[in-house]
Amino acid sequence: MRHVRGFDIARPISIGMLIIMMLPLVFLPLASIFLFGTRTGLGNFWQALMQPEAIFALKLSMVTSFWATIFNVLFGLFAAYVLSRYNFWGRNALIVTISLPTAIPTAVAGFALLLLWGPYGTLGRLLQPHGIQIMFTALAIILANIFVTFPLAFGVIKPVFDTMSRSLEEASATIGATRWQTFWHVTLPSLRGAIVSGALLTFARAVGEFGSTILVSGNLAGRTQTAPLYIFAKFNEGQIEAANAIAIVLALFSFLIFSVLFFARDWFDVD
Amino acid sequence: MAQVARAMQNTVDPKSEGTATMPAARVAGVSKYFGKTSVLQNISFDVAEGEALVLLGASGSGKTTILRIIAGLEQPYTGKIFLHGKDVTELPARERGVGVIFQAYALFPKMTVEKNIGYGLMIRKRKRKEIKKTVNELLSLVQLEEHRKKYPSQLSGGQQQRVAIARTLAYKPEVLLFDEPFGALDAQTRTHLRREIRSLLRKVNVPAVFITHDQEEALELGDRIAVINAGNIEQIGTPAEVYNNPATEYVATFLGAANILEGTLRDDALDVGGVRIPLSNRTGEFKEGQHLKLIFRPEDVVLSKNQEGLANHTCLSGAVVEETSFVGAFERLRLRIDQGVGTTCEPGDMSYLLTTEAPERSTAKPVLATRPKPIALSTPLRRLDRVFIGLTNFTILPASR
Repeated sequence: MRHVRGFDIARPISIGMLIIMMLPLVFLPLASIFLFGTRTGLGNFWQALMQPEAIFALKLSMVTSFWATIFNVLFGLFAAYVLSRYNFWGRNALIVTISLPTAIPTAVAGFALLLLWGPYGTLGRLLQPHGIQIMFTALAIILANIFVTFPLAFGVIKPVFDTMSRSLEEASATIGATRWQTFWHVTLPSLRGAIVSGALLTFARAVGEFGSTILVSGNLAGRTQTAPLYIFAKFNEGQIEAANAIAIVLALFSFLIFSVLFFARDWFDVD
Repeated sequence: MAQVARAMQNTVDPKSEGTATMPAARVAGVSKYFGKTSVLQNISFDVAEGEALVLLGASGSGKTTILRIIAGLEQPYTGKIFLHGKDVTELPARERGVGVIFQAYALFPKMTVEKNIGYGLMIRKRKRKEIKKTVNELLSLVQLEEHRKKYPSQLSGGQQQRVAIARTLAYKPEVLLFDEPFGALDAQTRTHLRREIRSLLRKVNVPAVFITHDQEEALELGDRIAVINAGNIEQIGTPAEVYNNPATEYVATFLGAANILEGTLRDDALDVGGVRIPLSNRTGEFKEGQHLKLIFRPEDVVLSKNQEGLANHTCLSGAVVEETSFVGAFERLRLRIDQGVGTTCEPGDMSYLLTTEAPERSTAKPVLATRPKPIALSTPLRRLDRVFIGLTNFTILPASR
């Protein structure tokens, strides 16, 4: 639609302003990671990356995020099924509770977990006499990841459940299938896209988690230090190149996941 | 009472003579409530082997609920369902062995046509060879062999429906239940598919229950039709029976256009707004002073400029032509009953006696008539022409309430 006679100056100005505003806020910070890291040459970048503590940090991030994702996708699937199919008193309260973790500051989440599982915690004190300590281990990181990414997979899967036609399940039932057979052959295939995008979302978020992890892990280098924690620690020690190397890897990884989520969008859509 | 008796006569299944022939499906005394609202009241009917029964009714009449209760997708408040003699009322849907064709077909979107059809056998853990053989037979039965590897989204509506039917036939269902199967299709495909499905059903000899709100579809599809109104079956009969001898006013008006003239029974004659029609052979059924309705269809009307032209048909009255319109294959007329001078039916052997209490008295309601094109062309009529109305078929019912 034409707003003015002749050339509309508002168009190039608005687009230009948008880019200019994003420069210092988004573009330049991202660019700095790559510019700085490769300034002294790729050889140095590689050397910083190959430090045993750096490699351990990356591996730990991947493993803890992986298990947190597996759990949250399975749980999200189960919760979406129950909350979509069954109506009961308190259902909406449950749905809200599941979505709560995203509203809580991650530091608060980590703190809460410490209060529960720490040596003097509500449950932790019961485990201590047996020599079991959950906090300051990889398990603690997994628990923290589960907490903060709890609603992500659920939030992607449940809408698909809600809009899925009941007649598909009814058809399967009248044909003679049990509830499990229907779920496996009919419901699950239609959820494929939501499950994959939910898993990717959860995984990416878990890898990037910092606030809760730094509290529950103890930040022990080479033992419970995830990649984001590694960056923080190395920066504090003044080892900028080391921090930068991992930062680049994490940034590239995030771009990769985001691209998959964005460009494979259609495949994820339910038909 | 007489009306109830007449309706009951048509709802108790005339096919079940004694216990010799067991019906393929029986619905007995089913009622259903949604909350406090009664949706179905005392529904009972049989479906015979190889029969196609149509449940015809408006939206909200409860016909879909009946189907879902037979399938096991809903539970009745009272009543029982029998399939081939077995009481399945307490069984869940998957143990009943019914085949349901849903309104939107409900084909599994991520499975090919082959896999959809083979689904029933696959979950029953049959051997791969057996599944393949049955799927091949069904594919050729519904003529979809070239589409076997396609997905439902790649098929037309008619093709999807054939897959849905094949999918249910794979596990040899007791009865097929069609939920408004032609709703989503255009008129041409609809007619074509109706005939295809009828011949398919005859071939496989599986009893079927159809749901529809389309009276033309019901007349073409069903061996018998059950007309449902607000949770009650008003009449069950063959298409000819329900169309020509409607048991209630609802059935008369639902199945096609109907002229309804109200009158009172006085001295063994029906008094319709001053026009009196003797009911010599029907007085046993109705009482003096009872309000009755005379019902006849537009195509039951014969028109003639003089009474002799009505031949053996019942002469109703004289009338004036108000409007004529040409509708292609036939002519539609609107007439006003008018007992003016010169247009009173003379008594004769076959005609009913007509006497007027007051001359120039006209009934309030117009009469709708249709005439086939050849007759309209040979004896043209225009506005304000005076004619005699004769009836080839009519029904007299007690006026309700």
